[in-house]
Amino acid sequence: MNPTITVLIYSSIAAASAALGAIPLRWRDSIPTAWIGWANALAAGLMLGTAYVIVVAGLNRMVWAGATGAFLGIGFIYWTHLIAHTEDIDLNKLDETGPEYGYQVLLVQSLHSASEGVAIGVAMSLNIGLGVFAAIAFAVHNVPEATVLCAVLRARGIRLRDAAGLAVMTNLSLILLAIVTFALITAMPLLLPWALGFAMGALVYLVMVEPLPESYRQAGNTSIALVTSVAMGIVVLLNGFLL
Amino acid sequence: MHPVALVFAYGLLTALATGLGALPFAFVRTVSPKGVAYANAVASGLMLGACFGLLVEGTESGTWPTIIGANLGILFILAAQQILLRFNVSFGSLGSVAARRTLLMIVVMTVHSFSEGVAVGASFGGGMTLATLITVAIAVHNIPEGLAISAVLRPRGVSVIGCAGWSVFSSLPQPLMAVPAYLFVDAFAPALPYGIGFAAGAMVLMVFVELLPEAYGQARRRTVALLVSVSLAAMILFQRFL
Repeated sequence: MNPTITVLIYSSIAAASAALGAIPLRWRDSIPTAWIGWANALAAGLMLGTAYVIVVAGLNRMVWAGATGAFLGIGFIYWTHLIAHTEDIDLNKLDETGPEYGYQVLLVQSLHSASEGVAIGVAMSLNIGLGVFAAIAFAVHNVPEATVLCAVLRARGIRLRDAAGLAVMTNLSLILLAIVTFALITAMPLLLPWALGFAMGALVYLVMVEPLPESYRQAGNTSIALVTSVAMGIVVLLNGFLL
Repeated sequence: MHPVALVFAYGLLTALATGLGALPFAFVRTVSPKGVAYANAVASGLMLGACFGLLVEGTESGTWPTIIGANLGILFILAAQQILLRFNVSFGSLGSVAARRTLLMIVVMTVHSFSEGVAVGASFGGGMTLATLITVAIAVHNIPEGLAISAVLRPRGVSVIGCAGWSVFSSLPQPLMAVPAYLFVDAFAPALPYGIGFAAGAMVLMVFVELLPEAYGQARRRTVALLVSVSLAAMILFQRFL
């Protein structure tokens, strides 16, 4: 199969899985705060585990270009948050009803998904098997992430199916960036360590700036720490066995 | 040098490195809660970076043993925390609540130093390069830990030397555990990934259950996130050169 089609298929899976995140809200109007915290922690741990797996795979080619890429990725997310005035945004506010908040939440989610897309594109460039693994890991990660997003949107009165649709829509940037990244690296292999570092820096920063601090406010430190560590461990373990 | 002496020396170096964390306090009297938060954030990034390195080495010797070791490390730290929460102590001139927090922090760091000592000793089973890598990783991340401990003790009137002393104390289990771990691993090479996993698991849990929540509580999210991710990237880069 043409590798680009593989990228398209698996990144689409990663994007579409967000729809599953709406399921918990099918029977309840809102989710207890602690569960949202654990969802955040789960998403964070999965993301960190996947970042680790990708870094390890590309470790030998990385070094300076990778490190510089990482700093660029971190800086890029920091900067985009700054110019969108979303740097301090609390993405889990269930009682915020202003229209601007809605747009900001969706904007930040799209940005987050774009970084995931770059990571998938990079992983696919390194090794298709790794790319598939990363895409599936992100697909799983996107479910609790979407649950949190849907909880926020439901609280604003949006219908559940619309919320699910929006959650998937914000992930479209994932598919786009995955294809673009893969195509660019195929055309210019020199970009690989830069893109790898960029994606990893961005992902780690994103985890640390939003889901993780949120989760500490929503559930106890110990349970959050456990969920995050175990989620990371599962990704590392699976990678050790599958690849 | 006799191998056991060498192992002990490496462990001692990491312990002494913790004392370096008290150095800034020779120049400043207090560090604001924000400063401590920043120290925690940097320590977290370094520790997560060190864990990446540890996990890579561990999984090379065996994935399951590393993961099992990691789970044990996590349980170890959790148990230590739970035990400490049962005690109601006063510590020197500190009041009860602050004393408990300080004691908790010092004891947790001391307890997880056991696992780091195990990692240092066990790493000798993988050759000098691995030993150096692990030792430097642990030494480097010990410095912000010493800083964090000193930042709590100094404003309470403990001298700089005292702060350095307590910091080194919290890492004393490292040389003490390194030697038996080395001897054990020397005899039982398969124990290496368990030891490495143990240290990695304990470190990861420390970061998520103690260091990061503290940091987020006292400083802006984006600054914490920035410090953690940059330190993490720097640590991974640094380890490539060992």
